[in-house]
Amino acid sequence: MNMQTTSRLTAAETALVEAFGAQIGELPGNGAVIGTRDRLLDDLKKSGLPTRRIEAWHYTDLKNLLRILPDAATVSAIDPAAPLVEGSKVLSILQGTADAKAAVDGVEIALFRDRLADGSAAAGLTALDKDDAIGRINGSFVRDGYAIAVPANTELDAPIELQALHGAGQVHTRFPVSFGAASKATIIERHRSVAEGSALVSSISDIALEDGADITWIILQQQAAEDTHLGQIRVKLGTDAKLRLFVINAGGKLVRQELRIDVAGEGAELTLRGVNLLGGESHTDVTLVLGHNVPNTNSTEIIRNVVFDRANGVFQGMIRVAPDAQKTDAKMSCNTLLLTDDGGFSAKPELEIFADDVVCGHGATVADIESSHLFYLMARGVPENKARAMLVKAFVAEIVEELEEEKLVEALEGVISAWLEKHA
Amino acid sequence: MLEIKNLHARIAEDGTEIIRGLSLTVKAGEIAAIMGPNGSGKSTLSYILSGRQDYEVTEGDILYNGESILELDPAERASKGIFLAFQYPLEIPGVATMQFLKVAMNEQRKARGEAELTTPDFIRRVKDAADKLKIDQAMLRRPLNVGFSGGEKKRAEILQMALLEPKLCILDETDSGLDIDALKIVADGVNALKSPDRATIVITHYQRLLDYIVPDTVHVLYKGQIIRSGDKALALELEENGYADIIGEAA
Amino acid sequence: MAAVQETIDQVRLIDVDQYKYGFETVIEVDKAPKGLSEDIIRFISAKKQEPEWMLEWRLDAYRRWLTMEEPTWARVEYPKIDFNDLYYYAAPKSSAGPKSLEEVDPELLRVYEKLGIPLREQEILAGVETPRVAVDAVFDSVSVVTTFKKELQKAGVIFMSISEAIREHPELIKKYLGSVVPTSDNFYATLNAAVFTDGSFVFVPKGVRCPMELSTYFRINEKNTGQFERTLIIVEEGAYVSYLEGCTAPQRDENQLHAAVVELIALDDAEIKYSTVQNWYPGDAQGKGGIYNFVTKRGDCRGARSKISWTQVETGSAITWKYPSCILRGDDSRGEFYSIAVSNGYQQIDSGTKMIHLGKNTSSRIISKGISAGNSNNTYRGQVSINRRASNARNFTNCDSLLIGDQCGAHTVPYIDVKNASAQIEHEATTSKISEDQKFYVMQRGIPEEEAIALIVNGFVKDVIQQLPMEFAVEAQKLIGISLEGSVG
Repeated sequence: MNMQTTSRLTAAETALVEAFGAQIGELPGNGAVIGTRDRLLDDLKKSGLPTRRIEAWHYTDLKNLLRILPDAATVSAIDPAAPLVEGSKVLSILQGTADAKAAVDGVEIALFRDRLADGSAAAGLTALDKDDAIGRINGSFVRDGYAIAVPANTELDAPIELQALHGAGQVHTRFPVSFGAASKATIIERHRSVAEGSALVSSISDIALEDGADITWIILQQQAAEDTHLGQIRVKLGTDAKLRLFVINAGGKLVRQELRIDVAGEGAELTLRGVNLLGGESHTDVTLVLGHNVPNTNSTEIIRNVVFDRANGVFQGMIRVAPDAQKTDAKMSCNTLLLTDDGGFSAKPELEIFADDVVCGHGATVADIESSHLFYLMARGVPENKARAMLVKAFVAEIVEELEEEKLVEALEGVISAWLEKHA
Repeated sequence: MLEIKNLHARIAEDGTEIIRGLSLTVKAGEIAAIMGPNGSGKSTLSYILSGRQDYEVTEGDILYNGESILELDPAERASKGIFLAFQYPLEIPGVATMQFLKVAMNEQRKARGEAELTTPDFIRRVKDAADKLKIDQAMLRRPLNVGFSGGEKKRAEILQMALLEPKLCILDETDSGLDIDALKIVADGVNALKSPDRATIVITHYQRLLDYIVPDTVHVLYKGQIIRSGDKALALELEENGYADIIGEAA
Repeated sequence: MAAVQETIDQVRLIDVDQYKYGFETVIEVDKAPKGLSEDIIRFISAKKQEPEWMLEWRLDAYRRWLTMEEPTWARVEYPKIDFNDLYYYAAPKSSAGPKSLEEVDPELLRVYEKLGIPLREQEILAGVETPRVAVDAVFDSVSVVTTFKKELQKAGVIFMSISEAIREHPELIKKYLGSVVPTSDNFYATLNAAVFTDGSFVFVPKGVRCPMELSTYFRINEKNTGQFERTLIIVEEGAYVSYLEGCTAPQRDENQLHAAVVELIALDDAEIKYSTVQNWYPGDAQGKGGIYNFVTKRGDCRGARSKISWTQVETGSAITWKYPSCILRGDDSRGEFYSIAVSNGYQQIDSGTKMIHLGKNTSSRIISKGISAGNSNNTYRGQVSINRRASNARNFTNCDSLLIGDQCGAHTVPYIDVKNASAQIEHEATTSKISEDQKFYVMQRGIPEEEAIALIVNGFVKDVIQQLPMEFAVEAQKLIGISLEGSVG
């Protein structure tokens, strides 16, 4: 039913096309990269931004929601910030530009703009499928980022923080990261507005865990209330690899976080946790497509959402078990505290199962605070508003407490508390 | 201290009447036991006294120190000194026990116009009280009641009671699920709090707990009414003969 | 469904994966020419002696249909249907005109006997233990007989074919037809509005508890014939009806199209219980033939405290595309959906429900049990939607899928949309294979594998079976067993 034609582009679509024309000369990339960029933009132009008729965008009609684009990256001086967790190695990307001097001992780090210039990034600039608007936008416009390789058998003693700070304008970044066999690391990917004005950020992290790698990856999105964030994480898990992926959304006006995960090695294990703090007029969509593609893998996914004001939240979670992926164990739950009648939450947890010897399940709840919990706290003398605040905080803090690193838990609880104080 | 007058109450959701004309007076310093068979309305009474919204009072009144408390919410009642030790203490994931205790103590103090506790003072109080109840510090580092055994939960309730220093303690089936050692610890905790300005209502199904917490008065609740009152001998009589005789008399 | 037991017993003797209702009846028929056009619609309308407004209604739907596209979002695959290669009207010749049992072609009565559907009232009345069920039998495009009409009339209940109702109760038809499923609703519903040929009409007046179960029995017999029935059930204030629907078709190599529309209307305090046992021909073991079952069923809880309950047992059809839904418009109204969907061979099922909460204090409950075997695909697709003004809405959903064999697929696609903070929504779904431990235990007691599976599956679906009227429950259980035959390989 896709009847969009090039002649009916919206203002935002036109702006994308024109911006591309204006920038093409200065976007980094050799011939192969430019060719790929061209193709991606052409596909985008042909199909237009996705509407709700596209099942993957059922709840986020990007064509309607993304109305005006901020101008392409405007230069403004931004200073790096303190890392979320003290002692982290910071790799900063300020207004979309990576730091040429960035280095972490024992880790290979390259600038993504160099990979574009020499063409080695071309192969990875593809869209994942015909509905991958983020892949197309990012692939067309990406300017920089870091390509990181953690060698095999390397254990990093401090987290690496990918610190993406921006002000008004457009920022398109990409982080191809590979973790060698049996490596161990924690990566914190932060997207944060530090200056006035609205921004459009697209960012793709393309990460591969080789056999036995044991990785914690945290995405912390704290953009400004008028910003758009189009994030995508592409993950491939090798044999016996372990990934703990935490996604925390605490900002932005229009947010789409896509998690595309390919569990491709036997014995691999995914732990996905999400916290969505939704307030103001925001629209936040977390979309997971998780493929269990080989036998004997397991995953658990827990998403917690808190909705205030006129915010709208979406969680789409698809667990796909391939034929022959026997003994898959996958459990997903999505719980929402809807604390307003002016906002809403939509959940679409989906199971697509083609192997029979599996244990898969999902649960979804939408409710107000549990009345018996509220009563218990009040019966101890805690006034209602305070008791509610405690329970809301507990509802989401419980998720980050699963992280083992105490400093990380504290920092993330701090983010949650600060957000709740501002919005609750 | 507490005066319940011709109380009628029902479940808000479906209108089922549970308390049907209950009257009871408990004086300061008194330990009153309320006994009765299953379904007689014992737990409901404890919830109504502490202000749970799932029940509606349709008639009668509850006076606490001479004032009606029907219009007060649970937190306001708690700040006035009414404490309910739950039959089934709730597990509240994500809420740290220590943080919860601190907020509860300070909120009650605030409501009474007292200064908030300093952190060292708070920690000292918790530690002292926990030691007396043989509560492990590790337990206090866990989320509220989460993963506690039945006995641990009951002890945690008594710990909260000791810290909050209420004036009217309501113990709802505090003995259920406790072995004899745990029962003694809990009873000692309750007895330690006995004072002339504090009243305690012990709700129980069995006489057993009353060997350790000796009541001044015993009341039999049946079909939402007190059908008989007496002293501790009444509890023994019930133990001996069961509820059938008394219920028969009342019917 | 009195004679069911007997039929079941006979069928048990038949070989694996033999569709028991696959016989064809040779009967003289009256057919419209093949194809679809305004002329065909005029032909159907004229055959039914319909008033002018009805014809206009149909033509209006037809013109709209021409602008619509076939939906593609469901997880079902089939070659494009040539809507001009179908017959839209086929009727047993002898059945035209007013119907009484005496006038019905004895050959037709034998068909229903063979199917286990009793149409002779005296026979039904004679059976001491037989529960009394009034039946409307629809053969291809027309209703051939409706039993117990007189007795129902005494109670004030109208139960007749919809063709008759259009002639005899135009005021009710005008008021309610299309009021739940508008003619513009979806591709198949719009097609149905244009070409529907028959179906049942039920009206239960204020305060009346319908004295017996009502039932319609659908049978597609003719080759290349689309069956487009339309059912309309109106239950007034405080009234109650339980309605059963059964379906079969002969075994044929080509696919047959069935696109029905069912509309239910419950006014204040009314209750409708609608049960379906759908056993259209599913195609053979290689996936050849079978019915395309594209059905729009929707109930409108229009009145306060009204209740609509859908129970379905779906074992047949090559393709099932069906979402019996409830619009919970009245305050304190309640919707229920209980479903068992069994797929085997190359069957494809995409079925579920929608619970649209609009009124205050509305509640809904969804229990769905999917069983996939063979090379089939079985999808639950459902929506629970809580409107901004629907305060205190409650929903509980439970979708369980069972996989038998590693060549089939089981899918769950729930949509949960909540816009009111006082809502309480709980959804849970699981997918697993049949427990080897349970199977072993049962087999160790001497029960053969297929029967062991049937036994365990019957346990799995028990919650839904219990919702069916007794007579149907027995049939449904047997059907599930039969449908799963050949699933062990």
